Parts: sequence; structure tokens; C-alpha cells
Amino acid sequence: MIPHAEALLKPLTIKGLTIRNRVMSTSHAPGYGKDGKPQERYQLYHAEKAKGGIGLTMFGGSSSVALDSPATPWAQISVADDSVIPYFQQFAERVHAHGAKLMIQLTHMGRRTKWDTEHWLPTISASARREPASRTIPRAMDKNDIRRVVRAFAEAARRCKEGGLDGCEISAAHGHLVDQFWSPSVNQRTDEYGGSLENRMRFGREVLEAMREATGGDYVIGIRMSGDEMLEDGLSQQDCLEIAATYAKDGLVDFINVMGGQARDEMSHAISLPNMSFPVAPFLFLPSAIKREVEVPVFHAQRVTDLATGARAVAEGHVDMVAMTRAHIADPHLMRKLIEGRDDDIRQCVGAGYCIDRIYVGGDALCIQNAATGREATMPHVIAKADRSRKVVVVGAGPAGLEAARVSAERGHRVVLFEKDDRPGGQINLAARATWREALSGIPRWLAAQVSKKGVDIRLGTEATEAMILAEQPEVVILATGGLAHTGFAKGAERAVTTWDVLAGRIEPSGSVLLYDEIGGHNAASTAEVLARKGCLVEMATHDLQIGQEVGTTNKPIHLRELYKAGVILTPNMELIEIYPEGNRLVAALRNTMTAAEEERVVDHVVVDYGTLPVEGLFASLRAGSVNDGETDLDALVAGRPQRWTGEDGYALYRIGDAWTGRNIHAAIYDALRLCKDL
Amino acid sequence: MTAASDPAFGLGLLVALLAACAAVVAARAALRWRIGRAARVDRGTGVDWMAGLLAVPRRYLVDVHHVVARDPHAARMHALAAGGLLAGSTLALLGLVPPLGASRLFWITTALAFLLALVGGAMVARRRYPRRPARLSGGTFQRLPLLLVAYGGGALLVALAATLGDPLAPLGWLGLAMAAIGGFGLVRQLAGGPMRHAFAGALHLAAHPRPGRFEGERATALMPADLEAPRLGVATPADFAWNQLLGFDACIQCGRCEVACPAFAAGQPLNPKRLIQDLAGAFKSGPPAYAGSPYPNARPVAGIGGPDLPIVGAGALIHPDTIWSCTTCRACVEECPMMIEHVDAIVDLRRFQTMELAAVPAGAIPTLSESRYAEEPGGRPLSARTDFAAGLPLPLIADKGSCDVLLWLGAGAYELRHGRTLRALVELLRRASIDYAVLGAEERDCGDLARRLGDEATFADLARANIATLSRYAFRRILTADPHALHVLRNEYPAFGGHYELIHHSAFLDELTAEGRLNLVAMPDGRLTYHDPCYLGRYNGETEAPRRLLDRLGLERVEMERHGKRAMCCGGGGGAPVSDIAGDRRIPDIRMAQARATGAATVAVACPQCAAMLEGVTGDVAQVRDLAELVLAAVEAAPASQGAGR
Repeated sequence: MIPHAEALLKPLTIKGLTIRNRVMSTSHAPGYGKDGKPQERYQLYHAEKAKGGIGLTMFGGSSSVALDSPATPWAQISVADDSVIPYFQQFAERVHAHGAKLMIQLTHMGRRTKWDTEHWLPTISASARREPASRTIPRAMDKNDIRRVVRAFAEAARRCKEGGLDGCEISAAHGHLVDQFWSPSVNQRTDEYGGSLENRMRFGREVLEAMREATGGDYVIGIRMSGDEMLEDGLSQQDCLEIAATYAKDGLVDFINVMGGQARDEMSHAISLPNMSFPVAPFLFLPSAIKREVEVPVFHAQRVTDLATGARAVAEGHVDMVAMTRAHIADPHLMRKLIEGRDDDIRQCVGAGYCIDRIYVGGDALCIQNAATGREATMPHVIAKADRSRKVVVVGAGPAGLEAARVSAERGHRVVLFEKDDRPGGQINLAARATWREALSGIPRWLAAQVSKKGVDIRLGTEATEAMILAEQPEVVILATGGLAHTGFAKGAERAVTTWDVLAGRIEPSGSVLLYDEIGGHNAASTAEVLARKGCLVEMATHDLQIGQEVGTTNKPIHLRELYKAGVILTPNMELIEIYPEGNRLVAALRNTMTAAEEERVVDHVVVDYGTLPVEGLFASLRAGSVNDGETDLDALVAGRPQRWTGEDGYALYRIGDAWTGRNIHAAIYDALRLCKDL
Repeated sequence: MTAASDPAFGLGLLVALLAACAAVVAARAALRWRIGRAARVDRGTGVDWMAGLLAVPRRYLVDVHHVVARDPHAARMHALAAGGLLAGSTLALLGLVPPLGASRLFWITTALAFLLALVGGAMVARRRYPRRPARLSGGTFQRLPLLLVAYGGGALLVALAATLGDPLAPLGWLGLAMAAIGGFGLVRQLAGGPMRHAFAGALHLAAHPRPGRFEGERATALMPADLEAPRLGVATPADFAWNQLLGFDACIQCGRCEVACPAFAAGQPLNPKRLIQDLAGAFKSGPPAYAGSPYPNARPVAGIGGPDLPIVGAGALIHPDTIWSCTTCRACVEECPMMIEHVDAIVDLRRFQTMELAAVPAGAIPTLSESRYAEEPGGRPLSARTDFAAGLPLPLIADKGSCDVLLWLGAGAYELRHGRTLRALVELLRRASIDYAVLGAEERDCGDLARRLGDEATFADLARANIATLSRYAFRRILTADPHALHVLRNEYPAFGGHYELIHHSAFLDELTAEGRLNLVAMPDGRLTYHDPCYLGRYNGETEAPRRLLDRLGLERVEMERHGKRAMCCGGGGGAPVSDIAGDRRIPDIRMAQARATGAATVAVACPQCAAMLEGVTGDVAQVRDLAELVLAAVEAAPASQGAGR
């Protein structure tokens, strides 16, 4: 039971456009654009949310209106010419077929983009002030630029309307061109576009007026903006209130989509896209304040991960619509489950930021725990029943094993799941012990609840043996036994302990610690933070160019902030070559990867992270008896076909997750989903 | 031997004397009813004495017997004791007539009658000794079998002596003495004891407030209160109509109401039997003598009562928690062999508490004020009533002007749970191509909750406003998934000038499936039980349509022990959920346990209150599904090509 859930189900009408409920997904960049167009993958991703009951889904988190705001970064959409219109039409039909509304976000990124992409045009802005995040220095716009970009916004809006989209918003958030004009941190102009707030608001006003003119009075046009840039020389909350109130009063916008902060550098990304270290809905006060000042509906997204928070935000009148964007990446059927009274089945976003972090390194948005998201063409969100019920034995109840058991059970198979630990979760249980990473525990919690709901025979505290597995007379055996941490390959490595030993509490280090990381993931950074908080003097060394190299944009700054605050010494470009004892202490020998100069540290403990190696004992003993010699048909796996041994007498043996090769949670879950959906 | 010294002749005189005494005692008791207000009859007329008295034998032998016979042993016991007593006494009286008194055959017949009375009395004794069942009252009631046996047995001896003659004459005198002791004891019990039910019950049948109950009608509508009266509702016994007072005196304390009462079972401070005894005692001098089971967890009261003293209050006879515990489920009424109208009395008492004293339970205060000022008990905007549709198109009658079926949404539409039911129903209407519409924001609350909570003024306003709205549109009938709205619109709006053809969705879907307008496929195996909503089953007599409908789904349907018109309440009626009077257990927990006891995995419901109450049960529960949801699942499972109207 979700209190006030009915508040979310109330339709909202904006200018004659009725949105069926109060839950939406904001425009974002999943990295699915192809040739600057929203093609099948992009459309199916949003159509799935529509099918799942969402009221409004907005796409194209910053679709470009002009050539000097290229679509290539983040694989975005270009609305700079009419060739996009047929794609919009197809897209709108797909989403409308499921009763949801579809809108787009239009923008000119100004200085917040790259000049060295498809068109090689200089970036432009209000003034020639470099943006730390994009590292480009723009050209200050002249009147011709202003006229041209205003025209481009108007043309783009017309294309949206002709494409059958239900509306659009302009992005004046995250440091795009319109808010570059607003913000005194960028706009240093002395003409009528700079100086007073009224002057700084002029460019945005011209953009919105031109868009209105191009689309007629009945088209829904909104704005996404910050409620407070939280930047010393940026827009204050009072400035933002005034901008919102003025634009709304003057009829320039039909809704205001409010977020908090900005995105000019690394840390501001982490704040404006809050991860699991933040409380839920940390910036709800910003739209709430704006809502008091305006007559138009107010939307808001920022870590509203659960329906209870969303319902509270709407029921208490802070917002008119609540955007649960990442929540829909985790479970696009969120609203349908609420409506059908199956809210216990909602896979809740844990705030790992895996989706968003991938796009900042040029990848596609994927969910750490839902491998079907973004893969709708090949991966089902609702698992179909198999023609025949099989007996499936899964060994290991980490994320891979749990997902394998879940999917197999949904297929109608009879599943036995062995887990030697007394609770499910595998390595996630370890990772979740590290300070702000606790919310990772939501992943196995949901999986385990689903698995037990689907009637899987779960045997906790039971280390499966070959005899126990064969006694089940399985047709399929899936080994998800995970991996084990090891102390690596440096000379004297046996004197080191692993990050696992620390997180699991098997050792309680004190004194000085050298933590050596060869993975660059969350694990070592989290462990360094744990050690420092326990009072150790910690130096964290890594072979990589920087600490936490593999950790993404919205998470890395949080790690670095915590490590700096805890006084951890950060030493990149250093390789661990030897550990030897000296008295009752240890000497760690390090070599600089650039200069080859060697250094030594005298410490009480050396803690290392070299990732995991698969646990292979059962595989070796079961392999001979299996019909497939333990082989996975990779062609079939990738093509989405059943494994070729399916149906043969005896059992087929597969490995998934870290038992196959140590990778990450998403890989483990994807291994399981794509194998089991065809079993 | 002279006739005068004959015990048989003495028996005749004794009977004549007893009859005379009984008449005096009864008349004195009857005089006390006169303190009440004018008789109240749901037909809006006074008591039709002629028709009523003429109908008594039929009402007694058919309607009362129908209730009594649910306990066959009790029916036989009563037939023997009462029949034997009446027949024997009448014969004994006739024995005063000379030719008969000399007839051996006559006395054999008389003896036989008293033998039957004796057997009946013995059965009464057997039921009460050595251990009295909890639902039966003790005290004078425990003496009843002794008196019956004494009178019947004594008279039997007299009749036997008269049959066999002199050898047994001493036995005859002994018999006469016994009969006299028993007989006077019984007459004494006419005043305040068990025997009161005999004459009060007979008169109650003649002057019953709801004569329709004896003519095959459900007759369950509450009667409107006169809002111009100097006092609204009932504060003192004198505020009751005299035929209600008569009804209270008809109680025989059999305890069937107590067994049926959900509040009693939950340990809330309500016992319908005790309540009726308190009301019967309230207009007599002295505290009521009562030796039955008490109000569970009884709240302390002063125990002071009298014809013109308040009935309800900590300083009076009945604690307010008692009257607010009632769910108005009418299970007590349904079970009462004396046809007493408990719920009418409770609502009358509530009316005074609510309208004159504004003394309602804390939880009911917002409900009533919102009902009055927002025209919706939850205070939610009327325009939000259609939000449940969650994107489904809902035709508004304001746009269409007319329709065949007007869908009345009810207060449940605001709840997520019932929203699912309504969406299923709307989808079924669409699939069956029904010409339907809703009132949308023009639908006000039907007033059920306000009325059951005693706020007749708000109810009357809501009724008139809804009737005015409905009068602007043309429709053939009103469909609703809410039995409370069904009852109010069908049975209670006529008194305010609104006459509509109502149909509950169970009956409507039964129609559609029977006509083949919805194609169902049999659902996969599963065991299901159906929980009858009080306001559908007991209030409106509809117990078969839901079952016919469910049987078409192909599931294995099992019945709970209490089902149909005798089903147990979910605890959701009469404002009980907002009044929220504490007990030992929750009523829905008890009902859900009954459902689970059948082994059913699903309990089918047909009322938003039942769904909410039963779904609120935690632990080992059956899943709760409304009929509409079950039917939609079966329709969706059917091949799409067969779906009519797609």
C-alpha cells in the first residue's frame, strides 16, 4: 500500500492535452540515437514505458536545433532539419498506441558541447567563458548568431508539431545556451542580452516567442530549468524564481520542469544527478518553491526513486507531475504495477547511476539491475512461458543466480536454487557494506522476493555438491557460483589481504594501510573510505591515470570527495611490485608507471583489489556428465536463440556471471536473462 | 364427587383464572408502550390493525417459523411446548362445559395435549441443564423449563386422573397443585420474563414496522426522520415509536443475534440481545434484569434508565461505543425469530447523538463534515471521482445527454483498490458495447455513510441533490459495483422522490454473460469462495446472480459456513471503519479466516468495502478479487476474435 498513490493517478490537462497520470520520465540521453535520429531502439525503449502505464514520456534529453550544437555527443538527436519528422511520427504512433503522451526536449548546447565532431563548427555562448566539463572555449554570439539560433528553435518546434509529438520543452538547465545567457557565471555581455536579469532573460524570451509563433497558440511548450544553480556566481534561487514567474506570467511556457543545481563540472554532475549517497528527492523544495509562484504545472525529477516519494510530492502539492526517469529505467512497468495493485513487484531504482555513467563515456544507458532496458527489441521485460516446463538447478544466489532463477521460474520451469551463504545476494552483500553503497542491497532484495514469490525452491545455507545437483535430476544446471578475490601477482602477494577481507570484516586493520587497486571500480575506493573512517592512515595507489578510473561521472566525484575528506592519500600511476616484511610491518615496493622510479612504503597492512577469479570446482566435476560439455553456444546467446542442446536427454551445464568471468552486476544479470529467456 | 370438588373442574377454573391474570399483566405491560411516539410503519401509514391481526397466524406459522426452523431442534421444542400448552389449556378451559367435562375421550385428548407440553418443557430443560449454552440467558429463563414441566406435568396428571377416575383422585389434586404453581409462575413471567414474548411477539407481528417483510419484500430501507420534529432521533425510550417498544418486549433472548453479530464476535462492546434488553428495560422501572452474556469488553455505565431518561451515555444505560460498534449488517435482524428491528433502533439512537449532540466518534467527525460540506465523505473533489480510470476513456452523461446504463461510481472510485474493479467493469462494458455513461463530477456521495452514522439531514440533502441531477438525464437503469449505493438509490431514494431501476454489477455481468455478450473461457483450476456483501445479500436479496456468474468462470466454488443471506459482515458497513471502536479482534480478520478455512485461494467480493476490509487482512490470506476483475480475466483469456463488440 502506497499512501496517496491515488494522487498519482489523477489526469493532468495542459492546454487541452490530457496526460493520464502524474508520473513521467524526463528527457535524457540514453545514447540510443542513430545518425541523429530516434530509431527503433530509442522508440522501443520509450514505448515500453508507455506500455507500462506512464503518463508522459519525454525523450531526446537535449535534441539539437542547430548545426553548431552537434548531435554526436551522447548519440543525440538532431532537429536541425526536416528529415527527423518521419521518425517523430513513427515514434509518436508507437507511444500513443499505449495511451501515453510523448514530448521532446529541444536545445542549443552553446558551450556545453564539442567542436571536434561531425560539423567542426566553433561552439558559441553568451560570452567566451570556458566550461570545465566540456573543456571548450566558445565564441561570444553576435546578433546574427542570436537571430539564427532563435530561428532554429522555432523551426525545430514546428518539426516537433509536424512530427505528431504532444509538446516540447527547451532545456535551460544543466548549463545549456538559454541558461548560459541567464547565468552571470557565463554571461558577461554589455549589450541588451547582458547585465540585468531582465536583459539576461531576453534571449530565452525570444526563443520561446519564436517557438510559439511557429507552432500556433495551442502547442504545449515548456521549459526545463534549475531552481537554484548552487554556484557562487551563478543563478540564485531568487533569480530562478523570478525567471520562472516571469516566463509563466507572460504566457511563454505551459509547464516548468525544475531541477536543482547545474552541470558545469564533475562535482555538479554528481549533485544534479544524485546517486545513492543522497537522500531521496533531495531538491524537491526547489520545484515546490516555484510552484507557489506560477500558475502553470510544475514537473520535477531528481532521485524520486519510489512511488511513495512520488505520491507524497504530488499529494502534498510540491509538484504537479513527478518525473521518475531512472525509476523507469529500472522498471518501465512501474505505473502498471501500481495500477494493478502489484506495487510489491516494482523493481526499484537503487541509485547506482550505472545508466547515466555509461553515457558520459560514450556508451549506451543500461540498467545495473534490469538487463532488458534499452534492449527491448531482443530482451523481454515480461518473460513468456516456455512450451515445456523443465527442471533447472541454479547454484549460487548472487545477482546472476537470482536472475537465472527468476527468469527460469517465470518461464514456468521448476527451479531449485542452492546458496551456501545463509542469505542471497552474493558479492553485493559485501559491496553494500561500504558506507554510502548500502542501497545496492536493493538489487538482491527484489530478486530474492520475486524468486520466492514465483515458487523457486531456495536452499540457503546449502553448499551444492555434484551429488546434490544430480539428485534433482536436472535438465539444466546453471553455475552462478561467482568469483573470489585474490591477492594478485606481485612478489610477496601472499602478505597482502584483499578488499573483501576488509569489507567482510575478516580483518580489522589499524595503523597505516597501502591500498593498491588494479580494477579502478567502486570496490577499492569504497574500501579506502571504510578503512579511513575506521581510523587507518590510508594511501590508495593505482596503476591507472586516476583513482576510480572506471567509476562513472556521477559516482566518481562522490568517491573523491569522501576520500579527500577522510585524508586518504591518492597516488595514481603507480604499480605494486613487491611486498616484504620488515619487523612486524610490511614494506610495499611501488614503481611509477611513467618514470619507472621505484618507491617504498612501510605500512601495517597492504590491501589489494585485483578483481575476482571464477569459482570453478563444480564446473570441473559436472562438465563430463553434461550434454554440452559445459559449453555455451555464444552465437545462439547473442542471436537470442535457444542453446542448441535444449531438449537433449541429460543436463546442459552453463556458467554465468563472475563464475564465467569476473565482470560486474549488469553483466551477471544480462548473462542470466539472455540465457534463461530462451531455455 | 361433585364437579366443584373435581380436580379436572379445578383445572378449568385454574386456566380461566390464569387467563384473567395474564390479561391483566399483559394489559399493564402494554400500557407502558403508550409512552412511545406514534407508530412507525415503513409504508408511511399507521398500524393497520385489521390486516395485521388477521395476518398474525400466517406471519407466525410461515415467517416466524421460517426463522425458527433454521434450528430444527428449537422448532420442535417450541412447537411442542407452546402448542401443547395452548391446546391443553384451551381444552382444560372447555372442560368446564358439562358434557365435555364428563367425557373420558375428551380428557384423553387433553392429557395428550399436556403430554406434548410436558415433552416440550422437558426439551427446554434438556437444552438448559446441566449446562446452559452461552447464547441463552439465565435467570428467570432457567426457571422457565421448571414452570413448564410443573404446569404441563401437573395438568397431565389432572387430565389422567379425570380419565381414569377415582383411584387416581389424590394424584389429580397433586397435579392441580403443580399446575397452579407452574401456571402462576408462567403468568408472572409474562410481565418481565420469558413469557412476555408470547403476547408481545404476537402483537409485534400484527403491528410490525415493516409489514413488507411478511410479504416477500426485503424491506430494509431506513425510514426518513422527521427533520422538523422538536427532537431529532431517539434520546429517551419515549422517543421511540410505540410499536418499536413493543418490538423490544418481543425478545425471547434466544441469542441468535448475538451469535450472528460481527461486532460481538470481534469483542467490540455490542451484543444485540443485551441491547434490546436494555431498550426493553429502559422504559420500565428499575434496572433491567438480564442474565445473558454481556457486552464484550463492556464500557462502564451508570445503569440508570427510565421512560424519560437518556438511554445512551456513560451516565445512562448504554455506552455510546455500543451503538457505534454496529456495522448495520442486519445479521441480527435476519436471525431474529421475533422479527425485531435492531438496526432501526441503533440508527434512531445514532440520529439523536449525531444531530442533536454532535457526539460522534472522533473518526466519524471528518467523514460527516466532509459529507456535508464537500458532498463526499473523504472530502475529495467530486471531479477526482473519475481519476480511477487512469487513462481509460469514460463517457460523461453530460456530453451524451442520455444513455442506456448510467454507471454510478460511488465513493470506492477514489480508492486505488476499487479503482481496479471499476476499470475492469468499464472495460467489460466497452467490450460488450454497452451504451453507458458516468455522471463524473456531478455525482455526489449517495449519502449511505452519513445516514448510517445518524446524520439524516446530510443524507436528505445529498439524496435531493442527486435526485435533482439524475432528473436532468435520460437513462434506462443505473448500474453500480457498490451495494451500498445500490441499496440507497434503489430502496431509500424513493422516499425522497427518486425512483430508479438499479442493477448491481454482479447481476449485470450475469446478464451479459448469459446473453453471450461477453465471451468467457473457463479459468485455470483454482478454488474460490464468494463473500456476500451485506448490502447486496441481506439488504437486497441478491445472492444467486454472483454465484451463477462465478460458476461460469469454471472455478471450483466452495461456500463458507456463513453465506448468502446469513453471511458474516466484513466489518466495513455502517461507518464502523471510521467509528473504529476497539475490540479484541478485527471483523475482517475473522471473516478472512472463515474464507481460508474453505481452502479457497481466492475470495470473490462484490463490494468496495468488502474488498478494502478483506484486503487489509495480513498473514495467511486468500487473494481478494472483485467479480468484475475475475470476469475480465476470463474474458481476456478468451480468443480476441470472439470478443463481442471489439
